[in-house]
Amino acid sequence: MIRYVAQRVLLTIPVFLSVLTIVFIVVRVLPGDPATAALGDYASKEAVDALRERLRLNDPLPVQYLRFLADLLRGDLGTSMINSAPIGDQIAHNLPYTLELTLAALLVGVTLGIPVGVYMATRHNELPDYIGRVGSLVGLSVPAFYLGILLILLVGVQLKWLPAIGGGDLTDAGDSLTHLILPALTLGLVMTASVARLARSAMLNVLTQDYVRTARAKGIRERSVISRHALRSALIPIVALTGIWGVALIGDSVTTELVFSRPGLGKLMVGAMLQRDYTTLQSTMVIYALFVVGINLVTDLAYGFVDPRVRTKGGG
Amino acid sequence: MKVRLAPMLALSMATLLVIGACTSAAPTNTGPQTGRTGGILRFGQSAADVGTLDPHFASGTQDRSLIDMVFNALIRFKPGDGTQFEPDLAASLPEPKSEGAKQAWTFTLRKGVMCQPTDGVPAYELTSDDVVYSLQKSADKNRSAYAGEYTGMTFEAIDPSTVKVTLGSPLSKALLYPKLANYSGGYIVCRKAAEKLGADGLKTHPVGTGPFTFKRYSPKEKVELVANEAYFRGKPQLDGVEFLYMPDLTSRELGLLGGQLDVANGTADIAWVEKMERNADAKVDVFGVGEVVSIHFNSRIPPLDKLPVRQAIAYALDRAEFQSLTGARVSEQVFSPVPAQFMPGGLTQQETAAKGLDYKSDRDKAKKLLADAGLANGFTLNMVTSELPSYRVVYESMQAQLAKVGIKIDLKVVDHTSMHSTIRLDTNPIVVYVAFRPNADVYLSQFFHSDAIVVTGKKPNTNFSHYASIDSLIDQARSEPDTAKQTALWKDAQTKILQDMAAYPVMFTNLVYARRKGVDYGHELKSVLALYPGIDETTRLMKK
Repeated sequence: MIRYVAQRVLLTIPVFLSVLTIVFIVVRVLPGDPATAALGDYASKEAVDALRERLRLNDPLPVQYLRFLADLLRGDLGTSMINSAPIGDQIAHNLPYTLELTLAALLVGVTLGIPVGVYMATRHNELPDYIGRVGSLVGLSVPAFYLGILLILLVGVQLKWLPAIGGGDLTDAGDSLTHLILPALTLGLVMTASVARLARSAMLNVLTQDYVRTARAKGIRERSVISRHALRSALIPIVALTGIWGVALIGDSVTTELVFSRPGLGKLMVGAMLQRDYTTLQSTMVIYALFVVGINLVTDLAYGFVDPRVRTKGGG
Repeated sequence: MKVRLAPMLALSMATLLVIGACTSAAPTNTGPQTGRTGGILRFGQSAADVGTLDPHFASGTQDRSLIDMVFNALIRFKPGDGTQFEPDLAASLPEPKSEGAKQAWTFTLRKGVMCQPTDGVPAYELTSDDVVYSLQKSADKNRSAYAGEYTGMTFEAIDPSTVKVTLGSPLSKALLYPKLANYSGGYIVCRKAAEKLGADGLKTHPVGTGPFTFKRYSPKEKVELVANEAYFRGKPQLDGVEFLYMPDLTSRELGLLGGQLDVANGTADIAWVEKMERNADAKVDVFGVGEVVSIHFNSRIPPLDKLPVRQAIAYALDRAEFQSLTGARVSEQVFSPVPAQFMPGGLTQQETAAKGLDYKSDRDKAKKLLADAGLANGFTLNMVTSELPSYRVVYESMQAQLAKVGIKIDLKVVDHTSMHSTIRLDTNPIVVYVAFRPNADVYLSQFFHSDAIVVTGKKPNTNFSHYASIDSLIDQARSEPDTAKQTALWKDAQTKILQDMAAYPVMFTNLVYARRKGVDYGHELKSVLALYPGIDETTRLMKK
């Protein structure tokens, strides 16, 4: 097992390095001069040239690349090219909002999706199943930003039950929660559709198994058959896919943060892009990459723990 | 077989909604109607983040508006009306005195103006030392983007409450006052705070003498300001301002309608204005100053080197078609590069029509001019446009209009900063430029003086047309102390520009802001150079 874990961890290094290289190249092929963007339309050519020099944008790309890697190794994310604010502070301020949103959406998706899927399976080819299948298809088809706007219009603007925009104050639980509900529902309801469909098909599979039939034959109550026997087995693929959903939610959170004008890594990244703040953009993308690689690593390791065959195939 | 899972289905949503309903309610922001109203005004601005809050570098709308709340200048534009001046940190508006070939302006400072406290620097009374330090910073090209405005000026502290500004060559009030007013380099920074914070610190931590004091900056989210209780015009009505960075228009709109914003930057589009006005809680303000759209013809690129061809293009264009892009209420046609609606020196429609220089749309005439120039079959021009709608739609409209007289334009859309770089490399045969400048001299100097010709000028700036025929008029007007004569010279200069068709003035688009009906800015809105409605000590949040 130790060898398996070591292998997986080592494998993430080239993956992460490749991602860093792509990030570095992508940021540099973006059109527009960062120094011009930073100083605005009024700046003189001398001021722009001086800033390019100060930001060391005139250095050869390989030199910039090595400096970028060296800074990252030291844990130095740099400062904003536009207003010199430390990027580490910006990420520290925004990251909790994205994590809070992602976890809340995951919670909504799982706690709504699993019961819906199970219910659809238990009412297979009946009206609730048809409604659920159509509903989940709609859920998969509706983009998160569109659903977000609908929720804002209904709950935030018409009913005025919840704030339409903003992230609230993280030190105030009530304020934070009221600002979290609509964005979490936006992301979570889209995820609910996926979870419900998966839970339904997993349950349908399990419900035809011999041990379920045996349980019923033994006269065990239907509720117990579903919850104690069938659901436990059906949950395995759902739990295994939770990591992947987590990665997807982090990605989807970008548009949700923008629609709700909510602080977070997504808003930070898009804002950096709009301002041509290349250092902030680069560092934010690195943090995203770190998350994705990290979650994939944890998922791989979890597979290994759950299923010994994976460890063996992996060379262990 | 059937399992009752309905309660489970509703569990998450119901719990979240119940908690929300119990703990929420849209934040309230109104105070008592009598006396000081209090409240935090929440302002949604169309930007992703702070650019720079150093007033001597700031050029973006999001920065200018925030800076206006924190800083003062010796002179200020009257709140809500950028055509009038009044004293700010100075006790009165000075008159000039001749000192040989030089000109001196002496400012007596108002007593009891306090510099706001910041980390390690307690509040202290502003003196001439701060003013001189600040103006010298504005004049230093390494510490200011507006240094060129202060060339030839010296600043001297006569005593703690007297500042003398000496000019190498005389200027009229119309030209001097804007340089020392609450616009760009005229803002006064507090010396001790500026030195303590350093150049980088000032970018995100403004310290001035204005009605609001910087409290906190949350990157890509907001800047929080609190009322400056020691403000020399009295404690502000508001408790503070939350300045939120919200690049998405829909989010700002929904935030305002949902009650999370009190003021939101809108868009210069009549459809949006009318949509917002249909909401009972919202009010929309459309006001100046307007950014002027002008089309500059590069006279070095054939066939635009021929006057009849440039005139043909002018006759082929129709201001009304351009104006229809935004709607008449949010824009107005202009007939000279300097907008007559906002400042002296501009030519009105009547004045240009009387001279036959209004270039009223006449496509038959345009075709005839092209035919006379040997271009009856038209020609093709390649150019770049910014991806920003304010530029792109003008280029596209021009493309469609010129196609009607056989002129084909191949447009390449690039990002905004790339467009700015490209047009300064002198590659666009036609340049659409959208800009506001504080007076006629700046407009004419930056766009039509030979020194400002892109690439080859002595001080390359935004003279895209390579125009060099009005240098003497611009220079003469700059040093003319008599306002009427100065205005006449500016008008002569623009008459010449139109005769030579160096640039085709199109229109200006107004500023558009929406507010909740409980917001009272404290002044009428006519024109604001800080490009926002103007939030000061008189701004109130009223109960509806």
